[in-house]
Amino acid sequence: MKVLIVDDSAVMRKVLRDALMKSDITDVGEASDGEEAVRAVMENAYDLVLMDWNMPKLSGIEAVLKIRRRGISVPIIMISTESEKSRVLEALKAGANNYIVKPFTPEIIAAKIKETMKSIAKK
Amino acid sequence: MDKKIDSMKAEYINPFIESVRELFSTMLNSNAERGDVDVYWEVPPSSDIVALIGLSGPMRGTVALSFPVGTALSLVGRMLGVDVRVVDDTVRDGIAEVVNIVAGSAKGKLHKGMGGPIDLSLPTVVRGTDYQVGYPSRTAWLEVPFTSDLGAFSLRVTFETPDDTGGASNESSDS
Repeated sequence: MKVLIVDDSAVMRKVLRDALMKSDITDVGEASDGEEAVRAVMENAYDLVLMDWNMPKLSGIEAVLKIRRRGISVPIIMISTESEKSRVLEALKAGANNYIVKPFTPEIIAAKIKETMKSIAKK
Repeated sequence: MDKKIDSMKAEYINPFIESVRELFSTMLNSNAERGDVDVYWEVPPSSDIVALIGLSGPMRGTVALSFPVGTALSLVGRMLGVDVRVVDDTVRDGIAEVVNIVAGSAKGKLHKGMGGPIDLSLPTVVRGTDYQVGYPSRTAWLEVPFTSDLGAFSLRVTFETPDDTGGASNESSDS
């Protein structure tokens, strides 16, 4: 499985990379803002994107909208500190497939990835 | 406590305390034990690394996490799974992310009783007391000290809520 981590914090990218490693996911790319993320998914065949919400240049939600407008159906899990229902719905409406609230554990990341991939396989 | 400080109800600071504890238990494999709330009219001098985030909307104010250097290095080292010995951009990045998570998480808990969404500014990280938070003189900082196996640190919050009257301005800046 090839995963793209999108977060403007280098520390959070490393935390997510370590969490993925615990699920034996080692084929990992990184982007530090929404613009880089859009470019990365257009140029590479990722199986999943972990997308932070608040980022400079292009936010995570704007990046999801751009990716979907380009017809790219890669599964995207939005990651945010904010747990309000309205935020989750906004992400799903934009085209995200799932939502993770910070703070998280590696087990939460693994469970959400499993849930997302399972729900996509059903479609 | 005077009337003004009394109006800074526990219900408003508790979400921040809960969020600190959740962050430590989930992402840092650590327990953050809180001490008693104290009140300051000015930020006490220190050489700490301080991460600040502004709140606007129905609750206006600033949230700060203040880490002695040793705690900051241990904390970011734990997040990264490596030994961190110098305060550099990586440490500042990690500390900024910590205050971002605490404020964002607390925002969700506060949102229910606020009558509207609270907006967060981008985090700012400063060293020592080389920052000023412009605020009406009648508002104080509430400080909650914490201890953990990563070291001691403090949560500081100053804010106005819908219960408060008068026009407050909110500005936070490096100097």
